Amino acid sequence: MSAAARSAFALLLLAVCVGVAPLLAPHDPARQFPQYPYAPPMRVHLFDRGWTPHAPFAYALRLIDPLERRYAEDRTRRLPIRGDQPVFLLGSDGFGRDVLSRTLAGARLSLGVAFVATALALLLAAFVGGIAGYAGGRVDALLMRVAEFVLVLPSIYVALVLRGSMPLVLSTGQVFATLTIVFGGIGWPAAARGVRGILNIERQREYAEAAYAMGASPTRVIVRHLLPSTFGFLLVQATVLVPAFVMAEAALSLVGFGFAPPAASWGTMVEDLGAGSMAAEAPWLLAPVVGMALTIFYLQMFVGSKQRT
Amino acid sequence: MSPRFFVRRLAAAAILVFVVSSAALLLADIAPGDFASATVGGDPAVVKAERERLRLDRPIGERYRHWLARSLTLDLGNSFEYHRPVTGLVRERAGNTAVLALTSLVIATLLGIPAGVLAASSGGVRARTLRSISLLLLALPPLISAFLLVTVAARTGWFPVAGAGGIRHLIVPAFSLALPLAAVLERLQEDAMEDALRSPHVLAAAARGIPRRRVIWQHAWRASLGPVLGVYGVVIGSLFSGSFVVEVIASWPGLASLMRDALMTRDAPLVAGCAAAGAAFLAAGVLIADVAHAALDPRVGAHRA
Amino acid sequence: MLGRFRLCAVAAAVALAACGGGHQESAKPPASGPVRGGSLVASLRSEPATFNRFVNGGNSSATDLISELTQATLVRVNRVTGAIEPALAERWAASPDGRTFTLTLRSGVTFSDGVSFTSDDVVFSCAVAYDPKVASVLASALKVQGKPLQVTAPDAHTVVVAMPAAFAPGLALLDNLPILPKHQLEAAYKSGAFQDAWNVATPPGSMAGLGPFVLTQYQPGQRLVFSRNPHYWRKDASGAPLPYLDTIALDIVASQDAEILRMQAGSIDLMAQADLRPQDYASLKRIAGQGFTIVELGPAVDPNMLWFNLAPAAAAKSGKAFLQRAEFRQAVSYAVDRDAIVSSVYLGDATPIYGPVSPGNKTWYSDRAPRYPYDPAKAKALLTGLGLVDRNGDGLLEDASGARVRFTILTQANHIRGRVATVLQEQLKQVGITVDVAALDPRSMFQRFAAGDYDAMYYGFQASSLDPANNLDFWLSSGSAHVWNPEQPRPATPWERRIDELMQQQIAASTVAERQQLFADVQQIFGENLPAIDFVTPNIAVAMSSRVGGAQAALLDPKVLWASDQLYLRE
Repeated sequence: MSAAARSAFALLLLAVCVGVAPLLAPHDPARQFPQYPYAPPMRVHLFDRGWTPHAPFAYALRLIDPLERRYAEDRTRRLPIRGDQPVFLLGSDGFGRDVLSRTLAGARLSLGVAFVATALALLLAAFVGGIAGYAGGRVDALLMRVAEFVLVLPSIYVALVLRGSMPLVLSTGQVFATLTIVFGGIGWPAAARGVRGILNIERQREYAEAAYAMGASPTRVIVRHLLPSTFGFLLVQATVLVPAFVMAEAALSLVGFGFAPPAASWGTMVEDLGAGSMAAEAPWLLAPVVGMALTIFYLQMFVGSKQRT
Repeated sequence: MSPRFFVRRLAAAAILVFVVSSAALLLADIAPGDFASATVGGDPAVVKAERERLRLDRPIGERYRHWLARSLTLDLGNSFEYHRPVTGLVRERAGNTAVLALTSLVIATLLGIPAGVLAASSGGVRARTLRSISLLLLALPPLISAFLLVTVAARTGWFPVAGAGGIRHLIVPAFSLALPLAAVLERLQEDAMEDALRSPHVLAAAARGIPRRRVIWQHAWRASLGPVLGVYGVVIGSLFSGSFVVEVIASWPGLASLMRDALMTRDAPLVAGCAAAGAAFLAAGVLIADVAHAALDPRVGAHRA
Repeated sequence: MLGRFRLCAVAAAVALAACGGGHQESAKPPASGPVRGGSLVASLRSEPATFNRFVNGGNSSATDLISELTQATLVRVNRVTGAIEPALAERWAASPDGRTFTLTLRSGVTFSDGVSFTSDDVVFSCAVAYDPKVASVLASALKVQGKPLQVTAPDAHTVVVAMPAAFAPGLALLDNLPILPKHQLEAAYKSGAFQDAWNVATPPGSMAGLGPFVLTQYQPGQRLVFSRNPHYWRKDASGAPLPYLDTIALDIVASQDAEILRMQAGSIDLMAQADLRPQDYASLKRIAGQGFTIVELGPAVDPNMLWFNLAPAAAAKSGKAFLQRAEFRQAVSYAVDRDAIVSSVYLGDATPIYGPVSPGNKTWYSDRAPRYPYDPAKAKALLTGLGLVDRNGDGLLEDASGARVRFTILTQANHIRGRVATVLQEQLKQVGITVDVAALDPRSMFQRFAAGDYDAMYYGFQASSLDPANNLDFWLSSGSAHVWNPEQPRPATPWERRIDELMQQQIAASTVAERQQLFADVQQIFGENLPAIDFVTPNIAVAMSSRVGGAQAALLDPKVLWASDQLYLRE
């Protein structure tokens, strides 16, 4: 299999997992097993100690020391993998919630917001950067100053003010829409500057000059001849923006703009690590980070290989 | 580059600083709650007196005019919280931030740019390794990477864990900032370099029999700088505004944590002051990047002058 | 109970050794008494906004700690024993009605700059604290029934304090008043510039105080260094001058994770403001004994609570009449498995509670108050009694109009309070109540609170005093911290009127036993009506380097550094 096919397959697999998350997830992502905080990942068995085969099961855990979060396996109790039993294939978080189920559920919200917002930001960037780079001169200067303004305006404050004008309780849909628009609206300037930098050079290249000489309209020159040259750059930007937006959702939860509990999102899951101190104690909580790494890795591989062909 | 260009850009920078700080001040004002209400069930007499003292009981237009009149004389007023001039507070923190930002900028550049060039021009295992490392660094939230570095420093005792002081204190926060940035630069440089290596004038140079090293560094690299420097200016600006996560985890007293605190307590003059500093740094960064671009890529200079 | 008071702590003149759940490090007397000299390093989570304890911002924990180290009061309430101890006042006598005290000041005491301390300084400090133009954050904690104390100085070494009304804690109130140097601050006060006096740009070393240490160095955002005050007046038991330490350095470490790492690495001796979080407790406990010890102090005295918006306007606005019913709140209390919060959020290191007075507050806790042990069946029965039943078979309750039984908990984002609210949400779902959690930044939260735009709120106040007489703002219906329905012109309900009456008797009663009796009645009425529900209170522990000696750790902040003059470093 070629690199492109492999990464396309992996991306597809990720997308399917995310799509059917509610079916795959062993638990309701909000379900708490308060007696099992920070339970480690449990092993799936098919045979018990006497080599008798069973449907996939895990041995029950017993909390020995809550403060130290030490568990012992109770070899006398078999728990089926599915069903409302404290079985955690990827461990549990501090509330005794299943990390696997939450990672799957969180992927939908977090990757959903991040991808849509990235697309929005890059569209804006191509648009603004395209005009600035093509027109040059005053238009360019003006647009770049606008970009600087957006960049340097404390976006968390914009979110704060926005949140203040909204009702106390927001539905998941409302949060999703607002986050997408806010991220898209603040994410474009850096990419726009890059696009402009590329177009500045490209437009002097022979083919653009030629197209222009042949009477093509400016829009046509930009869209058909110039913007394609920024494609690679924009995709690199996407690999930067997607993880940044996933974490930005957590940053905005500081001003009440994140997904409200009990919804799971990757950003708040990482934030829940307690600024990192739990990462060493309960490494399975890093599952969303692994998810994020895989996503952008395959995205980059796919895009990279497409580009070279 | 003509003097007129510089004058125009400086004027634009001044306007940016002014507009951004005004916007920040006004945002601080419309944000819910105010500085005087510091808790639930506070002493109403104290809250009322505090509102009067800070003029929070006056209409927003009047307060803004007052701030405007003073800011024209470069007096940004007193911080509500610290009872002292904003300019002094911001200067202290901006100094710390600048030291950290410069250090991490140098580290990120020295790591990211050569790695990007190398990845684009070499191919094979080396390129794949470099690419994977930078993707991993991009995927790792700064929260986690900064904490990992701090933990390593604490466990090994090689470097001080927190606080500002000598060069050794810089290591942890500077690398926390520089590593993700190096990854961004590597990605950008690699992509731009691949484009440049395919461009006609680089192919022509190679065809003329110029040694590959020279083709890469003299021709292709210079031609690839457009998008890299385009983003570079922004990067400089954002670095100099500080990073809240790194400052908190590494206990580095910089601008970002000052600004975040000011935002959270609705300390409007201080918010405006921090925003002004951030805008000034960004304008400077962008200007430096544009000048560097013109100097390094002859085509831009010719076009723009 | 309220953060804006200074720690003033505790009971009447009687020493209540049991009070406060303190810990005195007397188990292992050091072989060779206290050692003189050395430098202690502690971490400080937040930066001071001012060095002036009196002005707004002076009640922050950083400034309070600085004041604790550099200033002194006329009398001191021992944070561990609760006893009132002589400080700048050497002795005192009370009038027969117990409302006028004549205090004799210690003679020969000088400020750290060598200027003599006299009764003028006391009168000046009082004048500043009560001045409405200064709007001091100390004022309300220095008043009795909203009226200031009358403080006069018949001569340079005598101060007469008259209480405007009978007040059981008596002189303990004066523990709230750090004495300012009149010779340094009078000019600023007269010119109206007191608000900005002693701000953080004031050169360290220029501020004179009567405390054991002087601030000698301040690097903003990094470090505060305090050196021994050579003129300090207190001596130890053997007559040697205090403090033992040469210097105390406070390193500003904003992140608690970094603080813990530094504790583990041995680069700090103690955490000035910080009690250990459950996860830190576990990771430190594992390596305790390797350079540091953990001191357990018992249940915290300042629990968070869930209160409902009981202002009459709220019921009309939300249209949820059931939120106003005591039975509903009792059902909520029964429906929550407190052990679930203890084991998940606090990793087992917390104590279930049923009322606002924690068992950690040994003098004032009453076990007569009603309890609501986990009982979902009882909760359901109470809810059914209110007509809240599942009408459409979705497992969730609806009211008579068919509307979902649903309310919002307003709480603080990125805080342990938000985590508890998440557990409450899940627990209440089990009995069919739908809860939305709205977690906001503090100021936005306060704004929604002030506007009455909330159903219920989960929040808490830092304890400033263990004595209910100092927390009248919470108990009295006219109080600003009577959070479920603050500042009522007259009591809105019969039970609030009854609590008002009992509290008035309580603060005037003369014996502790009588006061305890009255306060137990208050707790009982509170528990029956449940305007606020308490679930758990964390168990407090502090970590200290093993080389620190003479520490007297207490539940109230600053847990160790309140008695900084007794601290020493073992060799």
